[in-house]
Amino acid sequence: MLLDLHTHSVASDDSRATVEQYVKWVNVLRRKGKSIDGFVLTEHRQFDHDVDYTSLASDDGIIILKGAELDTDTGHFLVYGISEEITDELDFSDVNMSAQNLVDICDTYGGIAIPAHPGRAGIGFAEYLDSGVTGFETIKSVERLNGSNRPGEGEKAESLIKAKGYLGTGGSDAHIVSAIGICMTSFDKEIKNESDLVQELRNGRFTAVRLES
Amino acid sequence: MKKNLYFEDVEIGDDIGPIKRSVTDEDVIEFVSVREKEITPSRFTSNEVANREGMPEAIVPGPMNIALMSQILTDWSDTVCLLKIDVVFRQTVPHNIDLTFSGIVTDKDETGDSTKLECDVVMENSDGVKLVIGTGVIALPNKP
Amino acid sequence: MTTDEGIVYDRSLLGVETQIGTFELTREMILGFAKSTGETNPRYLGDDNGAGDIVAPPTICNVFVSGVSRPDINLEFGEIGFFAGQSIECKAEIRPGDVLSASTKLDNVYVKTGRSGKMVFAVWETQFRNQDDVTVALVTESFVRRNKNR
Repeated sequence: MLLDLHTHSVASDDSRATVEQYVKWVNVLRRKGKSIDGFVLTEHRQFDHDVDYTSLASDDGIIILKGAELDTDTGHFLVYGISEEITDELDFSDVNMSAQNLVDICDTYGGIAIPAHPGRAGIGFAEYLDSGVTGFETIKSVERLNGSNRPGEGEKAESLIKAKGYLGTGGSDAHIVSAIGICMTSFDKEIKNESDLVQELRNGRFTAVRLES
Repeated sequence: MKKNLYFEDVEIGDDIGPIKRSVTDEDVIEFVSVREKEITPSRFTSNEVANREGMPEAIVPGPMNIALMSQILTDWSDTVCLLKIDVVFRQTVPHNIDLTFSGIVTDKDETGDSTKLECDVVMENSDGVKLVIGTGVIALPNKP
Repeated sequence: MTTDEGIVYDRSLLGVETQIGTFELTREMILGFAKSTGETNPRYLGDDNGAGDIVAPPTICNVFVSGVSRPDINLEFGEIGFFAGQSIECKAEIRPGDVLSASTKLDNVYVKTGRSGKMVFAVWETQFRNQDDVTVALVTESFVRRNKNR
């Protein structure tokens, strides 16, 4: 099963794509013979428990799940399986939040936090580890493939993965419609909801892939 | 530029462009001079000022980039009416580098209520790095 | 949503509409704008001699948007400012000789982090009307302040 684990809709300040347009584009990709089963909306610094894409998703047989991309003191993190407890414990809009605390809270309350684009300057996990930041023993995965990477950022992510033995996810980091699905994560098992997603990410049964040409 | 492109001719997923070009120092000076009779050195016209502001070289003004981005749509056909363009600058754009502008149709009103199309538009450098991204809304006439 | 907590600026300006000027758009300005941006469309350039009926390219308002002096929000952050993004909604054609008046208001201020570290964004909405009080363009602009690259 192929899911794009990193996408932004117009709820994020720097995205220009609506969720409905993403759904249409997934169907365009399918008509062109590409495989994509769904995507996770990871809006910047926010999470809305009330937004429900179930009907939109089921109309087209597309899985639409919700997560978030949070700014932290150790770079950006993708967060999946966000529960009321997690949003009660953390201020998602705090751009200086402790990444270690974020990881710990997610570990405690059924979520998972994964460093996004770890090879990116300024907001990538690798740079912080290089500068001597320690901890994060429970992190087992980072984002290996990111569709918005600049030259060198993917290579730095690969070096980190190799050095630490991490697993790697894939996501497009789409901010416009036609970018969705460029990078994705291939799961061995079917994912139907956020808790399935967290379970499979924790079990490590996935690989990062690029959209086949 | 295509002649007489009509709404019925276009499908979601259709490519627009690409257009390849670069923006020269002279282009930028000409652009800035539309507004300023006497040009004062700035990050747009002077490498020295750009260096002082932490940039490696002079950059193309944002409003000029938007004008260039809009052209990928208005140059598609003489029948295009641009209703909206909305762009995000992801990186500064230096003068005198190879730029590729491209677009793709991402949405089409199939209800018959309007002839609007939504398009993604992108400006990339020669490494494929997206310097400016955005969307445009255009209208095309119905076939006579 | 994003927050502006902890950012020091003049919050009294949020949502307050301010007139920022009246501008006459000459034929020469339109032709200069079109030429400098590499336009080839005769709709904006006229005939080979620049004569004939023309309209302004759809982003012409930027000639004025970038030059206006907006109210100072007294933002206490960052060493340098950049234009971060813009939306232009084209509501009516703009022609040579049109006199445009513009009003603007501060819509939002928020903070995020990126490749250059912490950044503060200020979003302005500007409306352009012509001499007949017809709205010709709605412009939303985002400006970012950050520290210089080291």
